[in-house]
Amino acid sequence: MSAAKRVQQWATFARTWHIFDCKWQDPYQSANVIKKYLMGLHKPIYHPMNDCGDVVVCINSREIALRGDEWRKRAYFHHTGYPGGASWTLAWELHNKDPTMIIKKAVYKSMKGNLQRRHTMERLFIYPGEEIPDDVMQNVSNQIRQQRLVPQRLDHIPEDEVQQYPKVMEYPSDYVLK
Amino acid sequence: MALLTKTPFSFLRNAVISTSIRTISTTKQLNIKEIREHKDGNKLIVEGVTVPSPRMELLVKSEKVAEEVLSVEKPTCYLCKLDLDVKHTDVLILSQFVRSDGCMLPRRVTGLCRRQQKKVSKMVTMAQKAGLMINLTPSYCKKDPKLRYAYKKFNTYFDEKTIFMKRIPDQRDKFKR
Repeated sequence: MSAAKRVQQWATFARTWHIFDCKWQDPYQSANVIKKYLMGLHKPIYHPMNDCGDVVVCINSREIALRGDEWRKRAYFHHTGYPGGASWTLAWELHNKDPTMIIKKAVYKSMKGNLQRRHTMERLFIYPGEEIPDDVMQNVSNQIRQQRLVPQRLDHIPEDEVQQYPKVMEYPSDYVLK
Repeated sequence: MALLTKTPFSFLRNAVISTSIRTISTTKQLNIKEIREHKDGNKLIVEGVTVPSPRMELLVKSEKVAEEVLSVEKPTCYLCKLDLDVKHTDVLILSQFVRSDGCMLPRRVTGLCRRQQKKVSKMVTMAQKAGLMINLTPSYCKKDPKLRYAYKKFNTYFDEKTIFMKRIPDQRDKFKR
């Protein structure tokens, strides 16, 4: 067994810690990726009865991006159990209250509802900002690739780069600059 | 260079209509003008200064333009010819079609075809809603997407496929039975 194969073997049987940056990521799309690492679906030894799932640490969950008008269209349902106890919370209201809740619910919903799901969710750590406790950070050994490119704001691009960027449109000859 | 890329029709219309409207002119016509205001004591001086176009040297030219001008069958605009896959996150391109207050330029200025004008203007709206061109906004804007009201302060992305859709499909539709 070569050295690389041997390390691969260790990594398969060990509980690896992965980090995932949620900045500008769709939580419902990234949940399908996070799920695979949490359940251990990326390992060749995967079996539902086999406890081979990894740990995933999500950072910047406050910076997630939803598509189009989903912030005000998607509603989260809750029922207290009492008559008239139903409530619908919009995604932006939920995100205001707890910036980790949307990604948590997205990952929870992406997995099949069985007895294992609650235990798998225990291996998911979500942090709203970039700061993570040191005892979590020192375990991390892998980064999960982001699904979407993080867009760059125009005012964050240097001024001369904006000026020197090739131009597509030319003003008509009698245009008054505004 | 811009004249080359334009279709003969829009060139003709530009020459006839846009100059005939502005009949009175104190400066040399057919040049880009900038209106400058400055105060000299009690007097407010407003002058129109003729300036060379700032994007003259940087203009991209399509290789096919020269051939297609000769064989004009179906006039296409320069953005169709360049055949770029522009996304709403490409703010360096989209900001060229926008005034300094973030307003989309009209078609007689941009010289685009109908479809491209609609596409670009929708993508400009998308970029503005996502807060990517926050420096190109009206003066009363707070210039920070995080300070916007309620759901607007959170990050939003868009799908360019929805631009020409009559009804934008809901992401939850696929769960319906």
